[in-house]
Amino acid sequence: MLSRVADAHYWLGRNVERAETISRILDVNYTRATDLYSQRDGRSEALWRSVMQCAGFRSPAKVSANGKAATDSFGFCAFDRDNPTSIVSAVRVARTNALSIRAELTTEVWEVINVLYLHVEEQNLRSVLREGPSKFLRRVRDWMQAFAGISDATLTHGDGWNFLQVGRFIERAYMTARILEAVDVENEPWHEAQRLLEMCCASVPFAQASHHAPDARDVLSFVVLSQSFPRSLRFCTREVDAAMHRISRAPDGTFANDAERRLGRLRALFDFTPIQEMLEPGVDEFSRNLVAEYEALSADIQHTYFPRLLVTA
Amino acid sequence: MLDIQPHYAVAEHYDELYDGSGTPRPHYAQVAAVLGRIGREEILARVQAINTALLQRGVTFTVYADSAGTERVFPFDIIPRIITAAEWLRIERGIQQRVRALNAFLYDVYHSERILREGRIPREMVYSSKNYNREMIDVDVPRDVYIHVSGIDLIRDEQGEFLVLEDNCRTPSGISYVLENRDVLKRGFTDLFRDYAVCPVDDYPSRLLDVLRYVAPPGNSRPNVVVLTPGIYNSAYFEHTLLARRMGIDLVEARDLVVVDNSVFLKTTRGLERIDVIYRRIDDDYLDPLYFLPDSTLGVTGLMDAYRAGNVTIANAIGTGVGDDKAIYRFVPEMIRFYLDEEPVLRNVPTYDCTEPAQLQHVLNNLDKLVVKNTNASGGYGMLMGPYATVEERAAFRETVVASPRDFIAQPVVQISSSPTLVDGSMVARRVDLRPFALYGRSVDVPPAALTRVALREGSLVVNSSQGGGSKDTWVLQQ
Repeated sequence: MLSRVADAHYWLGRNVERAETISRILDVNYTRATDLYSQRDGRSEALWRSVMQCAGFRSPAKVSANGKAATDSFGFCAFDRDNPTSIVSAVRVARTNALSIRAELTTEVWEVINVLYLHVEEQNLRSVLREGPSKFLRRVRDWMQAFAGISDATLTHGDGWNFLQVGRFIERAYMTARILEAVDVENEPWHEAQRLLEMCCASVPFAQASHHAPDARDVLSFVVLSQSFPRSLRFCTREVDAAMHRISRAPDGTFANDAERRLGRLRALFDFTPIQEMLEPGVDEFSRNLVAEYEALSADIQHTYFPRLLVTA
Repeated sequence: MLDIQPHYAVAEHYDELYDGSGTPRPHYAQVAAVLGRIGREEILARVQAINTALLQRGVTFTVYADSAGTERVFPFDIIPRIITAAEWLRIERGIQQRVRALNAFLYDVYHSERILREGRIPREMVYSSKNYNREMIDVDVPRDVYIHVSGIDLIRDEQGEFLVLEDNCRTPSGISYVLENRDVLKRGFTDLFRDYAVCPVDDYPSRLLDVLRYVAPPGNSRPNVVVLTPGIYNSAYFEHTLLARRMGIDLVEARDLVVVDNSVFLKTTRGLERIDVIYRRIDDDYLDPLYFLPDSTLGVTGLMDAYRAGNVTIANAIGTGVGDDKAIYRFVPEMIRFYLDEEPVLRNVPTYDCTEPAQLQHVLNNLDKLVVKNTNASGGYGMLMGPYATVEERAAFRETVVASPRDFIAQPVVQISSSPTLVDGSMVARRVDLRPFALYGRSVDVPPAALTRVALREGSLVVNSSQGGGSKDTWVLQQ
């Protein structure tokens, strides 16, 4: 497969997943912000600051007080074209990448992304807030999940599809790590653990697995280490590793490039390290390290399969 | 019922639907009847559905003059343009003949220059063509084919005779609209097709692939063929993706290619992969920065060397633009006589040569009656429609023509034919042209897949998409 085409599959997969995750994060927090609990003592600002952090905004001082926090943060995460992690940016990047590999995609896959793009481009902050943001966010999530299903069902499961999978699961792990970084389970165990579960779409799966009310340690353990929950770091990392090995055809347990070596070490971390030991330096540092680890992994993949090509002359 | 304006067919020019006495031509009768039965409301609802489908599929083109290259759906008119079997037979023969002659001309001007030595075409006319390419002199291209794909633009004059308006021998576009128009019309207006035997168009990509494989450098029984595109911002990008997809081959950009030891390779995730044939949808100037535009980032360094070494076939060949130079156009009938010893089946539109003083004077004296065209422009740009231009526009054009007469030709305004078209819910007459495509491999193949462009503005004679034109599904009827 052409390197450029592989690259576009990878970023298509990442941005589809990103739009889906950001829309879920916004939906969860928009709903929570209306709770009585969140309305006390500047908690609403803290909540939106953490949302901005999930969306990649490192120093969210921009979040204003006096009740505008929700609108500002929502606007930044949904419609800010300068923010590469906003919904509108992610959908646009996904669509541009899809367009650049239009010849590789089925019409059904292309149309689902193009239709969402056309829809998102017609929306703006005011129109979406007027009718309540849930409808818009739900729509983004629905179409992005449709993309995942349609691509699985209509594309050949060859290199292109594998690069889509790599992008999808790296982004998912990366966003889960960022959510971990943004929540404050040490100071607000019950509320923050609950919020973490919702942002990871894990409330019911966790309840089914644990049979008890959320306890911060168990929640962290579930989100990081669950073998079968498809958004846990362990699960996502295993999927990335599997897709990478299908591409390189290296046998399981060996590596053919730096990315696969890094993946092997991450897998070992999740497979063989007790959660207490992982969290010893604190949730903050643990999640910060993971965010950095997935960024390094992405750089390894790009270096291996699609090094930026020098433009001659 | 569908409104038909009472003044629909004024018989100044040829109308595709009505004959001179105002009677519908027999091959249109069923279309008119079926549309009448469907009714206005239902037709408009179906048109809406078709437009939505085209937008969602991304059947769009980019308008360069527009801000930030906006994507637009190429307006599609649902009333088909119908060509009878007898009409098509003549078109097919005329185009085969014309493309063979043009190809022979290209071989000749890059080899022995027989036609120039015998004085049938002035040398300076060829040498001064911006698209005459000295790098091609004495280069042998596989199977001597230069014009693998061409689009010959036809119009119908006042008497209904098909004339050639211009030749497109470089990278003619529009076939994707032919394929998509047929597809959406079949889905949206199935009932229209019931009474007609319409030739299918959907085998065009496989016919094109046959040609591309046929012209591969010898020695490889399974040649690797790719489509080369300038990228997603090109106005015809949709078409490039459609052709690559339907042919099942890679769509590549110049940055995906590299030349090593005079062979061309793809940069893939598993290393370099050799390619044999490039169907390029990119102009000569952007192919290789070593030979052409040195600051082009679209090109592939060394591609020209690989081409001249015979290690890769480029389709169309480099330098074919001298064949469709508008100043060369008036010599094509002469080429047909010279190379084929035949009389042209399809005539040209009379054309004035501005490099001849007497003709130039005539053109300048009659600017208000003529169409003046820049010999290097296309898409309806750089053109003066004399009768419809203002005094100032004519004065400004006059100066440019006097300054560089080689760059202009002039033709009388032809009142081209009109075809029934749906505008604001009514059926009205709008002017049309016809672009059949020719594929040159073992012989010249003219698939029954032609593009009809329609000038949607009332009274307009300019059908280009950049000038408010739309398109129609074109039905070539089986015998």
